[in-house]
Amino acid sequence: MNIKNNMKKIICLLVFSLNFILFAQRQLPNTSLKTLSGANTTLSEIAAENELIVVSLWATWCVPCKNELDAVADVYDDWVSETGVKYFAVSIDDSRTAKRVKPMINGKGWEFEILLDENSDLKRAFGVSTVPYTVIIKSGEIVYKHTGYTSGFEDELYDRIVALKN
Amino acid sequence: MNKYIVTVVIFFISIASHSQETEKTSTFNEIKDRINVSLESNSQWYLNDSETGDFEEEEKLRASSYLRIDYQISNRFSSGFQIESYVPEPLFNYSKLFDKEIGIGTFYLNYKTKKLDITLGHFYVQFGSGLILRSWEDRALGVNNALKGAKIIYDPTNYLRLTTLYGKQRKGFDVSNSNIFGFETQFDIANALQLETLNSFQLGMSYVGKQEEFKKEVATGVSQPALEIPELVNSFGAYLNLEYKNLYSNFEYIYKGEDARLNNITPNQVSFSEAALFDGNAITWNIGYSRKGFGIGSTFRRLENMRFYSERNFSNVINNPTSDLSMNYLPALTKQHDYTLANIYLYQAQPGLTVVSYESPLIKSGEIGESLDVFYNIKKGTLFGGKYGTKLSLNWSYWANLKSTYTDPSGIPYFVGDDLTYETELLNFENKLYSEINVEIRKKWTPKLKSIFTYINLNYNKGFLESKGADSFVKAWIGIAESTYKFKRGKSVRLELQHLSTNDDAKNWVGGTLEYFFNSKFGLYLNDSYNYEESKITENTKIHFFNLGGSFTKGSTRVGINYGRQRGGLLCVGGVCRPVSKNTGVTLNFVTTF
Repeated sequence: MNIKNNMKKIICLLVFSLNFILFAQRQLPNTSLKTLSGANTTLSEIAAENELIVVSLWATWCVPCKNELDAVADVYDDWVSETGVKYFAVSIDDSRTAKRVKPMINGKGWEFEILLDENSDLKRAFGVSTVPYTVIIKSGEIVYKHTGYTSGFEDELYDRIVALKN
Repeated sequence: MNKYIVTVVIFFISIASHSQETEKTSTFNEIKDRINVSLESNSQWYLNDSETGDFEEEEKLRASSYLRIDYQISNRFSSGFQIESYVPEPLFNYSKLFDKEIGIGTFYLNYKTKKLDITLGHFYVQFGSGLILRSWEDRALGVNNALKGAKIIYDPTNYLRLTTLYGKQRKGFDVSNSNIFGFETQFDIANALQLETLNSFQLGMSYVGKQEEFKKEVATGVSQPALEIPELVNSFGAYLNLEYKNLYSNFEYIYKGEDARLNNITPNQVSFSEAALFDGNAITWNIGYSRKGFGIGSTFRRLENMRFYSERNFSNVINNPTSDLSMNYLPALTKQHDYTLANIYLYQAQPGLTVVSYESPLIKSGEIGESLDVFYNIKKGTLFGGKYGTKLSLNWSYWANLKSTYTDPSGIPYFVGDDLTYETELLNFENKLYSEINVEIRKKWTPKLKSIFTYINLNYNKGFLESKGADSFVKAWIGIAESTYKFKRGKSVRLELQHLSTNDDAKNWVGGTLEYFFNSKFGLYLNDSYNYEESKITENTKIHFFNLGGSFTKGSTRVGINYGRQRGGLLCVGGVCRPVSKNTGVTLNFVTTF
């Protein structure tokens, strides 16, 4: 009815939330994830065993996600041998498409670790609304976050991994 | 409500400032590390359009915004809340339940140790594959059916998980007028018995009960049926997962207890037939085989009378197009496509029980079907593999209406006293609703150039799926080709061309997208879909459904702006759809996490 008034309210909400811009989550969410064979695990458990990991949220129906994973798969051997990084692709596929994950990753010959987040618990804990969403975790702390994928992002990601390694 | 918000915010800030034990200087850093804030705002300014007509609703500028804050109080405690704002109104075609301008949508307090996980407040949960119970959030669709109550997950050993819950379902900013009870046990047999030969052997069992009072209708002139409508509807489920070497199988069965049938003879009225009760069931079986470079998976599913709402009154799909208060998850098991023209003839799952026509009853009691996926990686250095290999995927699916026969002893149609019942056949695929075969080829030509080719051939029973009439099929095929060329420093260009060919319905469409990224942060795009051929369906004929926009991404912040015209139809995310009307306007999306 009153656009001006409404704009005011929207701006208030934005300003209110910008108060938080100085904050940045570093702690890992505690949410439960499933491995492909159905066992329960959490990111903290995985991070405790690995010094440097990349976690990427993806889905079988998301074209940019598959582009990212295809691109990483092409160079993954080099990444591992150069930096020792481990890449975890967390599928947010729900029961509509979750059954396609297993044949797809093998069919595509992806060699990184795959985890399942069937009810989007991790996605919610990260506060993510679209995939792909990629984070780098070093010594159990989130040190880098990125939303979306564009051609060539894998090179940028690799540069960051190398920088973090040193 | 605003007071309420302020109180909650102060509460969290005070927790934040008291929860640390170290010296003052690190207080700020401590909070910084423990807090997670995410903000999303989707707004649209609806415009009048000379081609598709004026936007006739009063509110032209609308926004749905979400601010979510999570805080790790200590190693064991965490807490959070979500403020939702729909000022002045939520986006067009959203659920009418979000009628409040601003409020606390969800909040929770969680306690977690290695063995115990307790949540008070709102929580999301899924039992098995969600056929019996699933609460989730999807902002693009305006779905949030979280349960409000308590959930306890207990892992006594590493091979056993027990989940107990009680709650009322979220209904806009309110809760449903019913109680939901749930219990699930997950038993990892392979782990418990140390079976070396099996990669996985798991058994799950679940129970979900919904308690809701049934208000009997006072019928005039008809003797009141003597049947008691159950206040507590009980559902039971079981699943078994097996994995041996490269083979795997997942089987799940659900039984849904008896309940009254919706009597939807007058679309806008909700009433029930009280002279007969109906139960429901679901069977799903997924098997597959995969090894490096090759994967095959097949899913069979049969659903009969499986819609399950926390309030019976919401079971009228016509009144409830956004599937509010749905307790389970019944997605279509067809392949989910990302391309615009592939989303015109969309199959939606048909899980519910409805009597469509009463003269000679046409009964929709559920669906049965099958979906098959094959993935194959043609090796590098072979004839079809080329220098970089070629990735193939193939998907086939077929869905049919359950074949059923009815009996109507009293012959009373569509009143509370209607005692119509039906019988279905277990495995009958005769009444075809939808079939599709699609092939996708991904090819990398050079390190800089990649292409994706997609072919889809579909049969869509429009007559049966969209109206009450007899079968009438739309037979269409869609061809899509896209290529991306990568320049230096994140610069890239993508071109996508689509064509939909059919002699039925609205006939042929053509479409395309051109996208250019200046660097990995900033990109622009233009796309269009155009129904260029004359046909009897003139609704979309010769109208450019174009979109022009750009996006800016930095770290976890993304801003997108779009100007364009949307085709009316179904907006589907993850197999759940909501109808959207044709509209034109400017959209602004903003999302960030701190």
